[in-house]
Amino acid sequence: MPVKSSEITPEKVFKRRRTLIAAGLGVLAVPLLDKGYGLLQQKPDEVNELFPPVSTQPGTQSQPLKPTPYETVTGYNNYYEFGYNKDDPAKAAKTLMTSPWSVEIGGEGANKPGFYDIEEIKGEHAIENHVYRFRCVEAWSMVIPWNGIKLADIIDAAQPNSKAKFVRFTTLNDAQQMPNADWAGGPYVEGLTIEEAMNPLTLLATGIYDQPLEQQNGAPIRLVVPWKYGFKYAKSIVKIELVEQMPQNTWWLQNKREYGFYANVNPRFDHPRWTQATERVIGELGRKPTLLYNGYADEVGHMYPDLDNRLYFY
Amino acid sequence: MGVPRIPIASRKHLLNIGLCLVLIWGMYDAIKGPDLVSDLRDFTGRYGAYLLLISLLFTPLSQRFNWVKRHLSMRRNIGVWGFIYATMHLLIWITLEFYYDWQLMLDEIAGNLFILLGILAFILLTPLAITSNHRAVKYFGYRKWQLLHTLTYVAVAAVIVHHFMAQKTAMFEPLFMGLVLILLLFWRYRHAR
Repeated sequence: MPVKSSEITPEKVFKRRRTLIAAGLGVLAVPLLDKGYGLLQQKPDEVNELFPPVSTQPGTQSQPLKPTPYETVTGYNNYYEFGYNKDDPAKAAKTLMTSPWSVEIGGEGANKPGFYDIEEIKGEHAIENHVYRFRCVEAWSMVIPWNGIKLADIIDAAQPNSKAKFVRFTTLNDAQQMPNADWAGGPYVEGLTIEEAMNPLTLLATGIYDQPLEQQNGAPIRLVVPWKYGFKYAKSIVKIELVEQMPQNTWWLQNKREYGFYANVNPRFDHPRWTQATERVIGELGRKPTLLYNGYADEVGHMYPDLDNRLYFY
Repeated sequence: MGVPRIPIASRKHLLNIGLCLVLIWGMYDAIKGPDLVSDLRDFTGRYGAYLLLISLLFTPLSQRFNWVKRHLSMRRNIGVWGFIYATMHLLIWITLEFYYDWQLMLDEIAGNLFILLGILAFILLTPLAITSNHRAVKYFGYRKWQLLHTLTYVAVAAVIVHHFMAQKTAMFEPLFMGLVLILLLFWRYRHAR
């Protein structure tokens, strides 16, 4: 097909096009440099102090951890019931009604089962403040100042018997309130051994930064187990059962090769598709080495006798 | 027809400006969000993959639609923009994600098929982007040039598997891209003789 003379670009325009592209790329660089400069400013040597090597890890409470900004903690979330993207939950979760809310405590291992209103739970147990590292199985991390109740307090109140070997958590699954409620084909289920559940690090969080939990963070009550990958932290819990059998947790059911029950953080055991040796701290540049048990080896190491057993670490 | 007749060369300029604006929009969106690094990395990777796949769709669609046939020369622009997005994706990974920590990068690459496929795709695309001009076609001769550029199919296949491996769940997008590529290859095979 012959080219019409009207379709031939005049030489002047043709040459100018390079200038235009260069100008465009220049414009692109401006915001990036601005934000990049800000990020560079917050990358001093203190970072190593934040994540000291395991051998010199001090007690959890005395660590100088730098909490991730509130806007980041509430804007970057995995909550698949509200969508798969990190910013979906913050946008879509506002429809979740978190009051009134009741939590069922039961299972064959509980001598004193019952339904409890969330306000009742908050009123009856001491609310503690803990700044914990948060490590996602996707190899990113944050530092989160939680407010919450010790899970052990709730379990003690349910009067566990000899059948209470595991704790099974079930989260809300309501298609009316959750646009992607059916992503896993049922409610999100997580579990812990009774020993893990009774560990003083384990919390049922009701707040972050002294603010009540926002919906995208798992309001009104969610699990916190800082030495495990983030998918263990069941959100918007409606049922806690003390059971004899090991619970089948949702991510294990999703992909048994890639996700397990224990899911303890360990830099030595890689995910089948990416490394777990390092992590990206959200809001900072570069990557940091990941710590064994996410830095809580002194507090939880005794529960896992075999450091070479992959069962504990995926 | 009432549609104003814009010369094809001007349409190409509009396309270039448009894809530049998409990049700017992606950057502003990332800056607004809570995590600049992953937003930029995923945005450039995802849209780069789409552009490369679209560049491959031109040939079969041009046989069916005259409208596509008239814009066949845009294929090159789209392919090169796909490469520009891919380059940014790689640069973001080196600078923002790994902060020039070459040792860490090597550890990450070693034995990691997911990253290796991404790098393979970039290595394959680089000579194709460099030879995406008239001078290169003349230099090689059309047959040889075309043979070289069939490498795009290998590169795009690597890109799609790379995309697939990056997902924790929600595999729909990479699977859809893979299906499109398979249909494309099937079409190519049938029309090769």
